[in-house]
Amino acid sequence: MKLTRKLKVGVALAVLVITGVAATRGGEAEHYINLKVLPKNISSKDLSHIMIDEFEDGLGVGCNFCHAKENNSNKLDYASDAKPEKQIARSMMHMTLGINKKFFHLRRPALGDSSIVVTCGTCHHGQPRPDETALQ
Amino acid sequence: MQPNDLIEQDNNDDGIDRAGFLKCMAWAGTGVLWMMSGGILKSFGMSQMIDKNTGNVKNGLIIPKSDFTFAQISDSHIGFNKPANPDVIGTLQTAISKINAIPKAPSFILHTGDISHLAQADEFDTVDQVMKSAKSKDVFYVPGEHDVLNDNGKQYLERYGQKTKGTGWYSFDYNGVHFIGLVNVVDTAEGGLGVLGNEQLQWLQDDLKNLTSSTPIVVFAHIPLWAVYPQWGWGTSDSEQALSYLKRFGSVSVLNGHIHQTIQKIEGNITFHTAMSTAFPQPAPGSAPSAGPMKVPAEKLSSVLGITSVDYVEHNHTLAVTDTTLANI
Repeated sequence: MKLTRKLKVGVALAVLVITGVAATRGGEAEHYINLKVLPKNISSKDLSHIMIDEFEDGLGVGCNFCHAKENNSNKLDYASDAKPEKQIARSMMHMTLGINKKFFHLRRPALGDSSIVVTCGTCHHGQPRPDETALQ
Repeated sequence: MQPNDLIEQDNNDDGIDRAGFLKCMAWAGTGVLWMMSGGILKSFGMSQMIDKNTGNVKNGLIIPKSDFTFAQISDSHIGFNKPANPDVIGTLQTAISKINAIPKAPSFILHTGDISHLAQADEFDTVDQVMKSAKSKDVFYVPGEHDVLNDNGKQYLERYGQKTKGTGWYSFDYNGVHFIGLVNVVDTAEGGLGVLGNEQLQWLQDDLKNLTSSTPIVVFAHIPLWAVYPQWGWGTSDSEQALSYLKRFGSVSVLNGHIHQTIQKIEGNITFHTAMSTAFPQPAPGSAPSAGPMKVPAEKLSSVLGITSVDYVEHNHTLAVTDTTLANI
């Protein structure tokens, strides 16, 4: 009885620790609105890393390539889906993760992770649209 | 007009080719030493002044007399970890060491933004730690767009902007010179251009109105306040209005970062100067599909950096690298 209780407590602690580590892999988890592909509990560090080092550098674009402005303002509304580029980015994330899973056998590919094989830059080479002639 | 049409000639007569200069920056970190003399600013690349073997001022160089000096560093991008420079802390430390090697410590240091790479607390902590080693204890910051990610600059303001206005703009006087730190990275215009915004522009107008026209002015901000290459967002959408307020002054110097390379332009009474990064180089305007860190294998870095040996002419104004050796004064 005592052993079972200890075991339960141990398992519960382990789950808590693992959950905590997963949620804060790259720092404190934030609450971002309208994340549909990226983890909802992603940390600001992981999110910024993906946005800056994957998307901006991979495509040679700034934030406003995908993110729409707030009405009558120069501020960006990061939650807005007004720009079609944002939906395309989501599709591209699905595609990239799928390629890494299917062809490179990564069990849980994550954007921004150093283990990922195919990234945005693999095809984009710093351009918003990949060089289509190179893909033919 | 094609980007290559902008390339005219290399007027730099300092005996140091730009490829070598960038190479030195990439691996050793750098900064710019500014000397104010009679209201005129002159700049000196730290790599030109400091002997890389001894860490001291090069033999035979004589520091000219000046009213005072200050150093500019920029784009330290602490937290960046890509092949373009896997040791950005080391190159920032080297830049500070070079500033410390100047016999008379600069009065202060300006950091023109992108202090951090991802605006994380640990990145800012690291910068603060490195900056403690500077002999010049006063450091004045303006944010880069990397410093205001996620929180619109809240953390930046808490750390560096406690006595500033709005999103971090401010001014101060030193030795008869009026310094103005502007913020053009919190909002974004089409194409990624910087924005000052109406509130800041109004403040700037008010800040200047009581100054006599003979007051030397130094403006510093992250994104260039002139159109270096708008196609890459290297400019500020409403800078023209800000510059119109500065036209009546006899000596105006505008110092920026963001583009990770030295380009200078003189337009009337205003001298514009962009500083190199202490972290990694970016391509010369128009010489690559887009801006961004030069991602090449480490062993090939120096040869690829060699393609940036250019000066530019835009709207018939010559843009030239003008960091000058002390021997040429």
